[in-house]
Amino acid sequence: MSVLQVENLTKDYGSGRGVFDVTFNVERGEVFGFLGPNGAGKTTTIRHIMGFSKPQEGVTYVEGMNSWLEPAKIQRDLGYLPGEIALPEALTGTQFIKMMADLRGLQNMTHTGELIAKFELEPAGGLKRMSLGMKRKLAIVTAFMHDPQVLVLDEPTSGLDPLMQDMFIEFIKEEKARGKTILLSSHIFSEVDATCDRIAIIKEGRLISTFVADDLRHSSSKTFKLEFNSKDEFERFRSEIEETQKLEVVSVKRHRNQAKVQVEDADVNGLFAIISGYDLKFFSEIKFTLEDYFMKFYDRTGSEGGANYAAN
Amino acid sequence: MFSKPILKQTLKANYKLWLIFTGILCVMSVMTISVFDPKMMSTMMEMLKDTPMAEMAGDKLDSMTTLLGMLSQNFYGMLAVILPMIFIIIAANSLIAAQVDRGSMAYLLSTPTKRGAVVRTQAAFLISSVFCMFLVVTVVGLSCVQLVHKGLWGEKFTPDAVAVSRILDLDEAEIGDNLSLILKNEEALQAGADARQIDPDVYLVYLNQKMTIKAYDAAAAALGKDAEEITKNPALLLQSPEALAAAAKVMGVPAEAYGAQLTAAIEQQGAMAAQSMELQNKMAAGISAAAEVLDVEASDLVNSMGKIKASKEALTAAATASGLPEENILGMINSQLAADELAYDDGIVFSVRDYLMLNLGAFLLMFAISGISFMFSCIFNLSKNSLALGAGLPIAFFVFQIMAQISDSLEGFKYLSLITLFDAGAVVSGGSFGVQFAVLGAVGVVLYAIGMNAFCKKDLPL
Ligand SMILES: Nc1ncnc2c1ncn2[C@@H]1O[C@H](COP(=O)(O)OP(=O)(O)OP(=O)(O)O)[C@@H](O)[C@H]1O
Ligand SMILES: [Mg+2]
Repeated sequence: MSVLQVENLTKDYGSGRGVFDVTFNVERGEVFGFLGPNGAGKTTTIRHIMGFSKPQEGVTYVEGMNSWLEPAKIQRDLGYLPGEIALPEALTGTQFIKMMADLRGLQNMTHTGELIAKFELEPAGGLKRMSLGMKRKLAIVTAFMHDPQVLVLDEPTSGLDPLMQDMFIEFIKEEKARGKTILLSSHIFSEVDATCDRIAIIKEGRLISTFVADDLRHSSSKTFKLEFNSKDEFERFRSEIEETQKLEVVSVKRHRNQAKVQVEDADVNGLFAIISGYDLKFFSEIKFTLEDYFMKFYDRTGSEGGANYAAN
Repeated sequence: MFSKPILKQTLKANYKLWLIFTGILCVMSVMTISVFDPKMMSTMMEMLKDTPMAEMAGDKLDSMTTLLGMLSQNFYGMLAVILPMIFIIIAANSLIAAQVDRGSMAYLLSTPTKRGAVVRTQAAFLISSVFCMFLVVTVVGLSCVQLVHKGLWGEKFTPDAVAVSRILDLDEAEIGDNLSLILKNEEALQAGADARQIDPDVYLVYLNQKMTIKAYDAAAAALGKDAEEITKNPALLLQSPEALAAAAKVMGVPAEAYGAQLTAAIEQQGAMAAQSMELQNKMAAGISAAAEVLDVEASDLVNSMGKIKASKEALTAAATASGLPEENILGMINSQLAADELAYDDGIVFSVRDYLMLNLGAFLLMFAISGISFMFSCIFNLSKNSLALGAGLPIAFFVFQIMAQISDSLEGFKYLSLITLFDAGAVVSGGSFGVQFAVLGAVGVVLYAIGMNAFCKKDLPL
């Protein structure tokens, strides 16, 4: 059984906003990336998983329990980090941690203490005056304090400084190694790239793609950048390619006499056969990143899917 | 059922607000109670009697002469409504809607705490904070009545009854029932007058007036009639031997003697009434003259006629100016001063039961009002919407209530206001209020139930 199940979830907020027929599962021990532009519906989906909102259609389960019907039960082994950090203002950080521990019936505070030390949290001050990053750390500590098996994290690193972001990524990896199941909504590619096993992309309330990250990383095609020494050479290359159709040109920069080509690993010798007849200034491989792949989904006007992504 | 950690947080977030409002309420209550002076109030009301202001205030003026009456009009008709209401409006919104709006509710609900437990805890806090507010005000109020006006618990006795009881070796209650005993004992008469800080002449008049009132009461009871009817027409008394006997017993004289005495008094009163206009004019001239001698305003002197008695010159001036013999003027002054003493007796009557009922009523009203604010706080996700109705409706009720009070033509507005169900005047003047109180309680229960149910079922944008 999947740890998190979202089945045909629909919530229409009107005028095209909300989520529509969203379906995905998160398996045990998996880190699942949840990506999409602002307003795509990530937080809305998470709201339903947490049992805060009632689905118009469809259903969400946590460990097989219906989120809407048993919201209190699902929280026992679930850690939640809200996207917006809105802490109760009347308390100090220490009081807030104490309150969350009491609400969870947590007595042993050693793990909490370790987390506080790890994230260099200074919880003594009032929550009203705390810096954004400090509040975020506080929320992280309270989400992980009861060492839950399942974690739902909505943009966990926004507001953290780069060092802390890196540390958080390491922390997620450790937790994953300990068998935790994590749903991670994020806008930061490096974070997703470094931690996620599978990734779902949501846009305008609809899930448009779900894929295994490693399939992309170990893609069987490579991209190379070529720069020619003269305009003539550049044009000759282009016309030859157009005629023979042997290579796939991804993009060109006419004023710099540059072209990007994509080749299957099996065809790499063919590439060299062709370019050996040209006067080249340089030749380099462009390393693949998930970012290149994702950018197209963020493009509001661009076509969905397809291989014509623009890098650089 | 309830969540202790949430209660703790709620207490931390709200105790200052509660302290401020409870503090102000207590101070206002103490001030209202301590400035009350029954003698002064009754003279003031006497002065106002025929002015346009009195007409506006209607029958409220009468009730102002007692402490509870004044409290019911002043404090429980105004401050004890608006101040807790403001507290409720702020607290109710902050307990639910503001936390949903801000998003901090997400933390509470991301623990194994049921929504029901959250909303029950917050409701319990709001109800008990309002209850404790009135509990504190009640205790402070009672202590203040005890400290300032004395003798709250047990039967209340006037100072003269206490003083006389020592001399006659009877307890105070017996003295109260047999005032005629004082008349028959020179020493007791002097002690009673001293205790009241008036001279024996005035005390004598006072005792006679007091006994007459009691006699009429006794007669009224025997006749099964209202005391007021007898006061208007004492001749009724003469028609019934039982009534006459009852009244005579109070006066401490045989029935026949009292009958004769009463007949004479009724005749005299008729004669007086015929020339009362003339008499009043003469008296007014006398007071003006006395005021000149004493170098005070005539209007001030009306309230303290004792000064004329104290000054031989003023008395002579008054007698000359009015053309009345000095004895007559003294008599009038004495009966005026005795009336003040009677008013004082009325004013110090304080029923703890009525006072508790006043506070219970105010609490029930606030329970219902807090039901309104709490319900809207539960229903709406945005503070501004929760406040629009949760604050708007109670304030509208208050405004309607005020409008209904200031003008007869707007009286219909009272039917639009929940506050009408708490009729403080009715509580202290023996009117009926039980049904209204029950309705307030029921309204509160229903509103809280609706609110809690709505919160458990709604979509939370957290
Ligand atoms: N309670 C609500 N009522 C009406 N519309 C809402 C509500 N909550 C969210 N929306 C709308 O639904 C859409 C999805 O919002 P959501 O918060 O899920 O986006 P998101 O993917 O989390 O975006 P971001 O990356 O900016 O956090 C948005 O257009 C938002 O305006
Ligand atoms: Mg979001």
